[in-house]
Amino acid sequence: MVEKTGAKTQEASAGARGLPQEDTLATDRQSVRAELAERFPRHHGQLLPALHFLQHEFRYLPDWGLETVGWHLRIPASEVYGAATTYTELRLTPPGVHVVRVCTGLACSMGGGRELLAALSRELGVAPGHTTADGRATLEETPCGFLCAMAPALDLDGRWRGRASPQGALDLLRKAVGR
Amino acid sequence: MSAPADALAGLTRRAQARQRRLRGRTRVVVQVGHCSQAVGALDVASALRAALPRGAHLTTAGCDGACFDAPTVLVTGPSGETVRLTRVAAASAADLVSKAAAGEFAPDPGPAPFFAPQRRLATYMLGAMDGTDAREYILHGGYAGLGRALSIGPERTIAEVEAADLRGRGGAYFPAAVKWKSVRQEAGTPRYLVVNAEEGEPCVFKDRHLMEGAAHRIVEGLVIAAYAADVHEAYVYINAEAELSAERMERAIEQARKLGLLGGDILGSGFGVDVEVRRGAGGYACGEETALLNTMEGYRREPRLRPPFPTQAGLWSRPTVVNNPETLCSVPFILAHGAAAYREVGTGTDKGTKLISLSGAVQRSGVAEVPMGTSLHRIVHGVGGGPPAGHALWAVAVGGPSSGLLPVSLLDIAMKPGSLHESGVMLGAGGVVALDERTGPLEAVRLLAAYNAGESCGKCTPCREGTPRMVAVLDRLSGGRETADDVEELRYLVRVVADASLCGLGQAAGGPITSGLRFFEGKMAGQVR
Repeated sequence: MVEKTGAKTQEASAGARGLPQEDTLATDRQSVRAELAERFPRHHGQLLPALHFLQHEFRYLPDWGLETVGWHLRIPASEVYGAATTYTELRLTPPGVHVVRVCTGLACSMGGGRELLAALSRELGVAPGHTTADGRATLEETPCGFLCAMAPALDLDGRWRGRASPQGALDLLRKAVGR
Repeated sequence: MSAPADALAGLTRRAQARQRRLRGRTRVVVQVGHCSQAVGALDVASALRAALPRGAHLTTAGCDGACFDAPTVLVTGPSGETVRLTRVAAASAADLVSKAAAGEFAPDPGPAPFFAPQRRLATYMLGAMDGTDAREYILHGGYAGLGRALSIGPERTIAEVEAADLRGRGGAYFPAAVKWKSVRQEAGTPRYLVVNAEEGEPCVFKDRHLMEGAAHRIVEGLVIAAYAADVHEAYVYINAEAELSAERMERAIEQARKLGLLGGDILGSGFGVDVEVRRGAGGYACGEETALLNTMEGYRREPRLRPPFPTQAGLWSRPTVVNNPETLCSVPFILAHGAAAYREVGTGTDKGTKLISLSGAVQRSGVAEVPMGTSLHRIVHGVGGGPPAGHALWAVAVGGPSSGLLPVSLLDIAMKPGSLHESGVMLGAGGVVALDERTGPLEAVRLLAAYNAGESCGKCTPCREGTPRMVAVLDRLSGGRETADDVEELRYLVRVVADASLCGLGQAAGGPITSGLRFFEGKMAGQVR
C-alpha cells in the first residue's frame, strides 16, 4: 500500500483541486516510485496496468503520478499523458468523495434513466459531469453500464443498482452523502 | 490410454467423488452476475449463507440469462427435482429456500417461452453450475473437447473447427480456423493469443455473462485455440468495469493451473500455454482488435492500419490470434461432439448459435442463445414476450451504435452473420433493444450518433470532426431549427466519414442515421418534407 498522504490532504480540504503540500508530494512520489519498481517490470506494455494502479491508489491520475510512471517505464510524460487521456475510465481530475453515475443508454433512457439523472442533478445542485462545491459528490452520465436488462441503472461508488426509481436513487444518495 | 485421456479420467473421478459426497444433500444455487448483483443477488447469497436449511449445500453460480427473473435461486432436493425461485428478496430468501427444500413448491424449469427457443451450447448449464469450479464443469462434460483435441492433434483440431464453419462472434464473423491456421503457419516465436473480452459495445452483455457463468469453458476454448495455433502465451483482455468477470476468470485460471489444465504440460500432453488477465480502461474503440493490441502495448487506444493483420503482425508485431469469448465457448462443443453436431444447429448457410443481449421494451430481457436463422420476431416476441402491457413497439435497434434501427414491419428478418438488411443494419455482437413510444426515432438515432461521436478516438480527422457534426445536425432537426439541406448534409457526412475512416467505428458511425433516414425520415425531419 502506498501511504496516501496526498489523498488525505485533499479529502481534508474537501474538493480543493490544488496540489498536495510539497513535503507530502515528495513522500507520495517516493512511495509510488518504490511500488512501481517492485510491481511493474520496465516494459512499455505495463503502462496501462501502472495507470490502473495509480488510479486505484489516488482515485485519479495526478500529474506528478503520470510523470513518475513515465520515469519508471522510460516513456516520455507526453506519451503517458496522451495515452491516459484516451481511456474513458481514467480520471485526470480528482472526483468528489462519492461518485454517482447514471446510465442514459438506449434501454435505460427508455426506462427512465434521464429522469433519474435529472432528479439526482436537482438534489446535488450540479449538472452531470460536475462535482458539488463541497467536494462531497460527483455526478456523471454514462453511455452504458451494461445493465440494459435491469434498466434504469445507476452506480454509486462502484456498486451498480438496477430497476432504479428516482426516489430510491435519492434515498441511496442521501444515505451515502449524508444529507 | 494416452496421457491426456488418463489425466482427464483422473479429474473426472475426483469430480464424481465430490458429487457422491454431496449426494442426498439439498443443493442451493444463487445466481450472481453483473445484472443480478445490481438487484440484490449478493444480499440474497449472504442471507442464505447465514440461514441455510440443515444439511443444504450453497453454491454461487453465474446467471441463466433470465435477467427479468433475477435474483434467482435454484433449490434441488435429494429427489433431484429443481425449484426455481425468482425475484427473491434477501429478507424472505431463507424462508423460501426452506419451503422449497421441504418440497412445498412444484418443480419449475423456468419460463418455457424464454428457454424453449434457445439452443444452449456456449451457455450449457449456465446458472446451474459454478463456472469457476472445474470439478462442476467436468461433471457436465467440461474439458472433453480439450481431451479430444489433444488426442487428434492440432491439424485435425483446425480441420474440425473449419468443418463446423465457426465464425468469430465478436461481430465480424471471420472464420476462427483460418486465424488459427495462419498464425500456425507464421514462422518464429513468440506467437500470442488474445481473448477480446473488452465488450465495450453498449447494450451488449453476453461476454460478461459467459465469463461469470462459464469461466472454465472459456479457458478450455482458449487452450484448444492455443494448441491449434501453436501459441504458448495468452492474454484475456477484460473490460475495465467488468469486475466480476475478471474475478471469476482469475479464479478459473488459477484452478486450471493447479489441475494441470493450463501451464507447462497440459494434461501430460507436452503442450503448454499460460494465460494472463489484462484489464482495459474503457472506450468502445478498445474492442477493435488493433486498438486493443495498442492498449496492451501501452499506447493510445487507436486502431492500426491493416494489413498487416494481427495474424501476421499483432501484439508486439508478432503473429497473434484474437478471439472473442463467445467464439471460444463454442469450440469445446465442436471438439467434443464433432463438427456435424454443430452444423446441425442453425441454417444451411449459417451454422451454430448466437448469444443475443435482449433489452428495452420487452417483458423478458436478458441473454439468450438462439440458433442462427432465428427471426427477430421470435427473439423480441417469443423469447422477450413482446412489449409490456400498454406499450407499442415501433422498431428494434440491432447490433449497437455501428448498426441501426429496423422497423417492426421487418421483424421477420432472420439473424445471420453480417448484414441483415440493405440499409446497413447488421447483427454485430448481437445486441437487440426493442423500442417503444417512450423513445422516438430522432431521439434513438441521436443517442447512438452521440455515442459514436463521444467514442471516436480522434485518429482519423473525418471521424473526429464528422461525428460531432452529425449530432449537431440531428440537434437542429430535434430543435425544429432545421434547414432544407440538413438531411442532405447528414447523408453527405455519413458518406465522408465512412469512406475516410480507418476502423469499423468510423466506417459504421453513420449506420443509425442511414437506417433512421431510410425507415423513419418522415418522423425525423417531418417539417422539412
